[in-house]
Order: sequence, then C-alpha cells, then structure tokens
Amino acid sequence: MINSTSTTPLLSPDLLARLERMELVSRKVFRGRMKGERKSKRRGQSVEFHDFRNYVAGDDLRLIDWNLYARLDQLFLKLFQEEEDLHFFALVDASESMNFGNPTKLRVAMQLAAALGYVGMCRSDRVSVQVLGPPGRRAPVLRGRASLWKMLQYLESIESGHNVSLYDGIKDFSVRNPGNGVVVLLSDLMDKQGYESALRMLVGRRMDVFVMHVLSPEEIDPPLRGDRRLIDIEDGDATEITINAYAIERYKETLRSFIGSVKNFCSRRSIVYLPVRTEMPVDAVITKYLRERGVVR
Amino acid sequence: MSWIPTLGNWIWLLALVPLAIVLLYFLKLRREPVEVPSTYLWAKTIEDLHVNSLLQRLKRSLLLLLQLLAVALAALAVFRPGIRGDDAGQGRTVFLLDTSASMQATDVGNDESRFEMAKRLIASRIESMSDNETAMLVTFSDRPETVQSFTSDRRRLSEALRSVQVTNHPTDILGALKAADGLANPRRSSEVGDVNDVQVADALPADLLIYSDGGFRPVTEFSLGNLIPQFIPIGKSKVTNLAITAFSAERNLEQPGEVQAFATVMNLGTEPAECTATLTTEGNFLDAESVSLEPGDQVGLTFSLESEESVALQLQLDVKDDLALDNVAFAGLSPLKTVSVLLVTPGNTPLRLGLSTPKATKICNTEIVSPDYLQTDTYKTRAEAGTDDLIIYDRCSPAAMPSTNTFFVGALPPSSTTPEGGSASTPEDGAASIGWSWASEMSPVSLVDVDRTHPMMRYLELFSLLIFNGRAVKGPEGSLELIGGDVGSMMVLSPRDGFQDLVLGFEIVTSDGEASDQANTNWYAERSWPVFMLNVLRYLAGAAEATGAASFQPGESIRLRLESAVSQPVVRRVGGGQVAVDVGPGAEISVVETSEPGNFRVESQERLIDLFAINLFDRTESQIMTPSSVEIGFESVDASNAQVEMRREFWRWALLAMLGLLAAEWWIYSRRVA
Repeated sequence: MINSTSTTPLLSPDLLARLERMELVSRKVFRGRMKGERKSKRRGQSVEFHDFRNYVAGDDLRLIDWNLYARLDQLFLKLFQEEEDLHFFALVDASESMNFGNPTKLRVAMQLAAALGYVGMCRSDRVSVQVLGPPGRRAPVLRGRASLWKMLQYLESIESGHNVSLYDGIKDFSVRNPGNGVVVLLSDLMDKQGYESALRMLVGRRMDVFVMHVLSPEEIDPPLRGDRRLIDIEDGDATEITINAYAIERYKETLRSFIGSVKNFCSRRSIVYLPVRTEMPVDAVITKYLRERGVVR
Repeated sequence: MSWIPTLGNWIWLLALVPLAIVLLYFLKLRREPVEVPSTYLWAKTIEDLHVNSLLQRLKRSLLLLLQLLAVALAALAVFRPGIRGDDAGQGRTVFLLDTSASMQATDVGNDESRFEMAKRLIASRIESMSDNETAMLVTFSDRPETVQSFTSDRRRLSEALRSVQVTNHPTDILGALKAADGLANPRRSSEVGDVNDVQVADALPADLLIYSDGGFRPVTEFSLGNLIPQFIPIGKSKVTNLAITAFSAERNLEQPGEVQAFATVMNLGTEPAECTATLTTEGNFLDAESVSLEPGDQVGLTFSLESEESVALQLQLDVKDDLALDNVAFAGLSPLKTVSVLLVTPGNTPLRLGLSTPKATKICNTEIVSPDYLQTDTYKTRAEAGTDDLIIYDRCSPAAMPSTNTFFVGALPPSSTTPEGGSASTPEDGAASIGWSWASEMSPVSLVDVDRTHPMMRYLELFSLLIFNGRAVKGPEGSLELIGGDVGSMMVLSPRDGFQDLVLGFEIVTSDGEASDQANTNWYAERSWPVFMLNVLRYLAGAAEATGAASFQPGESIRLRLESAVSQPVVRRVGGGQVAVDVGPGAEISVVETSEPGNFRVESQERLIDLFAINLFDRTESQIMTPSSVEIGFESVDASNAQVEMRREFWRWALLAMLGLLAAEWWIYSRRVA
C-alpha cells in the first residue's frame, strides 16, 4: 500500500477561476446570520421582485404597492426575494485510515473541502472547513474570497492521525456549531463503531447533510493475494486471512453491501450520499460530478 | 495394475504426511504482514468466511490442495504402480544369465556392457513379479552356478542378481540348462522298467528365460521337456571386433637366443577394421605391426626378437572395438631347458636314433640302460626321486611305477599292488596290471584313428604304417586313446597322480630269442617317427616348456608339474601380485585363480621355474554377433524382445506430475506473496 503526500497546491488557479462562478445549493431554507449574496427561498428585503400578496393588518406599510392601490383600489404587498448568507461546513475525517492511497484520501478530501469552501466564500457564505479532530480544536470561520489563503493555510496544516471516532468528532462539531447550515462530511466511514449515530446527530441538528464517501481504488479492489496478516493502521488490529479469489469476492461483496447500507441510511434521512474515488480528478468531481448531483450549480 | 510397496512395514507413515501438512498449514502458516486503512470490512469478510471456516479453507485453498495432491502422487510413486506388458503364465521362471567373456562387449550403448544390460533386464523382470510367482537365478560361463534357487522373495532374487559378476570364461550353457531342468522335468526314482517305479515329483513347467548373446554352441544333449524357453538376445548383430585368436612364442633351436612370436588376428566383427598390433614385454615396447582386415578375414603376424632369458610377451591391438578382452594376448617363454630321459631297453635302434636326432639332442640328455638296471638300488632311488623327466620302458616294465612320466613300448605298466622289488616282466608273461590290460590277442593291426588334436600326435601321418603284431591296450579310467586300431586302442595316455603314462600296444622291434632284432613295424622308416619322438620329448618329458609357455583359458584349473627339488613354489602374475596355489604331492601345483588373462611365473626362492599364460583364444567368445535364434535340444529358440516382458512402471510419471504440481504451487504462492 502506498501512502503519499502531494506537494501540489490544493486548488489550481484554473479551478479557482471556475469555482468562482459556482454556488452551493441548499435544499433547506436556513436563516442566515447576515445578508449574503444568495437568493434565498425566503421572501425578504432585497431589490429583486418576487410576487404580490394581499395586505393583511399588521403588514409593513412600506411594502404596499401604492401604484397598484391607485389603479385597483386594493392593497397589495410587494414581495421581494431575500438575499442571505449560508452556513457551510466541510468536515474532513483526518483519521489515520484517510492517509492511504495515492493520492491519499485525506488529500482528496482536503481538495474537495477547499473547493467547496471557496465556492461558499465567493458567495459570501459563512464557511468553516474543519477536521474531525480532538475536542477543543477550533477551525476558523471564513467569509469572502479574500479569506481563501486562511482556509488553505489551515488545510495545509492538517495532518492525519486524529484517530477520533466519527461519532466523537461530529458530536464535538455539533456542540460547537449549534446553527443550521450545509454540512459536507468527507470521510471513508470506516469506523468500527459505525457511522450511523454520527450522521443521525447531524440530521438531528437539522443540517443539510452531504456525505462524500472517499474511497481509494485499493479499497475497492484490493491488490492482495496469499496468506496475509492485515494490520489496521488506525488501531493496529491484526486480522489473519488467506486472500484468494474467493476471499476477494467476499470482500467486494461486503464492500458493496456496506456502501448499499450507507446509501440506504442516507436516502432515508435525506442525506445526499456521494461516493468519491480518489483517482477521479478533483476539478472533474467538482465541476461535473457534484454539479450533476446538485451539490453545486 | 500391480503395486510394489517399497517402504515395507513403514508404509503407514505415508498416511501421516497429509495430516501433518494440513496441521502445519493451519498452525505454522507464515503470513506476510501488510497494512490496510482499516480491517473493518476485512473483519466482516472473515466473519462470512468463518461461517464454514475449516471447510471453506480446505475447499478454497488452492495451495493446500496442490500440496495434498503432490503428496498423494509421491505416495503413489512409493507404491510403484505398474503393469506388465505380457503375462508369463507359468508362475515359475528360471533366469539363465550368461556371464561369459563375450558379455563384456559394449555394443549395447549407454556406456554399459551386455552383462549390465542383461542384469538390468532381469532386475526389471524380477520387480514385475507378483507375490505368487517364483523364480530362480542360474548363471553360466564355462560352468553353471545356481545363484538363487526357486523363491518368491524378490529381495533375495535382487540381491543374488546384484552379487553376480561377469567372468572372462568361455561359454557352456549345458550345465545351466541341467540345473534349470531339475524341477521342471523330475527324474524317475529308479531304472526304467522297474514295476515299483514312482515318479519323484510332479513336473512343474517353468519359463526359461535365457539372457545371453547366444555365443555358445548348439546344445544337443538336452531336452527342454517342460521348460518353455525364451531367448532374450543381449547385443547387436552389427559389431566391430578384432581378436587375437592365437599367440605363442618359440625359440629358434638352431639359435637359442632368437625368439619368434606368432599371432593370429581375426576380424570377427561385421565391419572392416584396422589397427596396430603392439608387442611389449613387461611394459617395454618391442615391435608393432599394422593390421587391416575385412570382416571374417584373418592375418598371421610374426615378430622376431633376441632374448636368452625368459620373456613374458604381451600383444595388444590398439583399437577400441566392442570387446576389449580379446584385444590382448600373452605368451611366455622359459629359458632354455634340457630334459633327461632314461631309456630302458634290451636294444632298440629306432628308439635310440629317434632320441639322438639333432633336434632331440638339443633338448634332451638320454641315458640308455638294459632291463637289468631296473633291479639295482640306483634305479630305485632314481625312480622314487623322479630324477628323470621321462623313463621309456621298451618291452619291459618296472616293479613299481616311478615318480615321473613313463612311456611303455610293447609292455604294460605294473600293477600298483605289485610288491616293491618285483622282477621285471616281459610282455609274453601277459601280466595284466590292475587298470592296465591287453584288450586283444596278438595280431596284425591296421590303424583306423589318430587323435590329431593331442600335442603328441601333432604333425603325424600314420595311416601308412604296417604293424605286424600288436595288441589293443585298455587303460585305467580317464585314459585317452591317441591311436586306435582295428582291434582296439593302440596307444593310450593315462594320468597318474600328476604324472602321465603312455602305453604303445605294439613293439617297434622284436627280438626272437637270440636272433637279432627284427622290425615289427615300418614306423621307424617313416618321417613321422623322429617327429613323434620329438613330440614325446616335448610333451611327455616336459621339453615343450623349453619352446614356449603353455597357454590356458580363463577359468581353467591349471596343474603344473615342477622339478622335485622345488620347495615352496609361488605363482606371480607378471606385473601383478602373487596368486594362491595348492601344492600337491610330487611337486605338483594347481592354480585355480585363473580368471584374469596374463602372463604368470612360477618361482621358487626367486628362481624362475615355469611360465604359463592365460588367454581367451576362443573364437566362439570373440564372435560377438548376436544370433537371431539359438539351438537348444534340437529346438530353435527365436530371439524375443525382452522389452515386452518388462513391467511398465508409472512411478516416474507420478513423480514428474508431483514436481509439476510443486512448481505450480510455488508459482501460485510467489504470485500471491509478491
């Protein structure tokens, strides 16, 4: 198994240029803390007209369309589209198991997180890219494209080895971030305690959750044969197995059933499940794959 | 399909091997450690596999299966599976293995001799025997030897076969056939026609497998009876073989220092051949001559050399042909020796003349005495001591036989029971001795047969002889008739305790009372008379040794008569060590270790007493072409292919398959580990 750390920049200038034209999509209506550049589904105060409605007692008189009243002698209110900001969280699993493959799953996860974060920053969303690490470690909250370097600096400082369980990491995140928003979890979900409780917690916070399941090709089709002693690089757990075609077939079946169960779990809870393979180019993932699946537009 | 378990009582250990492999497979499996991001999914996979873990592992582990299969094949090989091409049927087999000199021929390829090939064929035949088959092993050269009597124990047969060695001896298959004959054709317990006769045993038919190159004469005095013969020819019909068929050396009696060596070289192969014949003495080169012969041709070679001392000559053909044994020949030459002859006669001019020819005087000292001398003490001492090499009794006989060779002319040797000091007797007394007797009355005789093969009868033309009065002679048992007449044997040679007695049944001259001698035969006027006397001196008096050492065939038991004064004789091979000898009474020695050709010296206290040589000199042995059939008991036995009889073994294929499996297993293993 090859572990490697790429020295290439997380985001290429070309990709940055393309990301600037994109926008994060939230399937839920959240109340942003500040007005952003996002046309919200909420009606609010902005310059963009949306609709009319009948006046009811107590409405803001400033919104009455007086011209219409003059013509029709009825009171109508003008409704405008609300423009607001979005809370975008990218949670990167930096456990030892993510430090695997070429490029490593962690690197790919960081690239995806940086790209999505930059999309959010360009739309004046409130972006927070953070590692599911030990409790107490805080990541900066960023807004505006000028903060790109901060985000990249933070991401570059991330190293693997934060072997906290998915549940503990998300619990820590949830405690520190009570607000709603869009959460993208970038993980391989290989947690022996299970991923379900962790995701349930995010859903319970009424977050718009996206799970990007990062897997390396070596995990999908292991190039292992013979009598092996498999050592878990996270906890050192050893498993002895004679890997033959049958065992490989069994493994693939197990993997398929695991992915199936994750998909099933996610679809029941309106979580968008996105399997990502590390050999896919990041720009293609962002510009095509995620756009096709409605994560960005 | 038959099986030959080769591990004997330990065969059950085989069952433990697969068990041990399976145990080792689970207990001592060396697993390569490898890091994976998470064993989460693997653990789940293993859980599935663990559902029927053991069976699954056994079922799905290709390596284990291959190993078990390899062990199974190895075990199969240990059991030596095989089938026999042809069933012998009788269940009883007699292996006749030719160990004669011609079996040393190397024309069968694979760097082995015919003998080794025959042994290999017999070994494979023994291995293919089933448990209820029995076999015996008889070897034959000039004598048969039952190496292993009937047994079904293959191990004993194989060990007996291993102990058999090839010899340099000529071939005589008759004895071996008789040895094989015993159980197949049981003899009757009594004479034919006896009413109480019972058969000793039931006849047990047997297969007679003759592994030979067919280099023996047709056997006529044998009936195969219940033996079913099969001739397995060993060798090829196209061979190359140059052979020395004769080699001797003689001194020129005119010039005793001059030695001539004569050799006959024959091409007994099927291809033209040429070579150089090199004459050496004790490793020193003397002469050489080139020989070029078409198949079947022969050439005589003559070498001249100077030597007054004894010489041990070796003639070597420098050629690499199929039989090396007959490419070398040996001849010895004693130093000049003079024999002493005592002639006891009332007066016999032909005899005296015969002993005083120029050639005879060169090799003998003759003393002539009258029959009265036999009564003297001097004679008695002389006769007991064996001082003379030959005593000729003309028309008289002594009271007791002397310790030397004798020649009786017109008289019989005395009875051995005659008390010492008995008077001399004349033939007219008709005193028939025990062992020796007259077989007819006095009558004119005409000769009908002469044994020309005997050295004493060489160069003689006797059928023109006139014999006026003669009687047939009957010698003791073991006598040899040299001249046969119409009335019976006229000249008989008989051995006696290492000596030889020659008796002539007619007188040369007769003396009628006081009258002068009259001729009884015209022999003395013939050219054959001095030649015969010279032959008598050479052969009977031992003067022949003065001309050339005797040559014997390998395996022959050699008896030599030495001078009485010789003490502690030893026999040495020229260029080799000492040979064991048995010293008998009357200074007679016998040598039995005569397998190896060579020159031999008989010495006493470092003084050369005698020389002899051992040579193959046997055309039948040198004729190494394998015939397509042999004659046994007027029955022609065609050559059969021994390969058909061979057991077809499968253990080699099993081992090869096992090696293939091991290679496949290793390849799969290395692919998995890499």
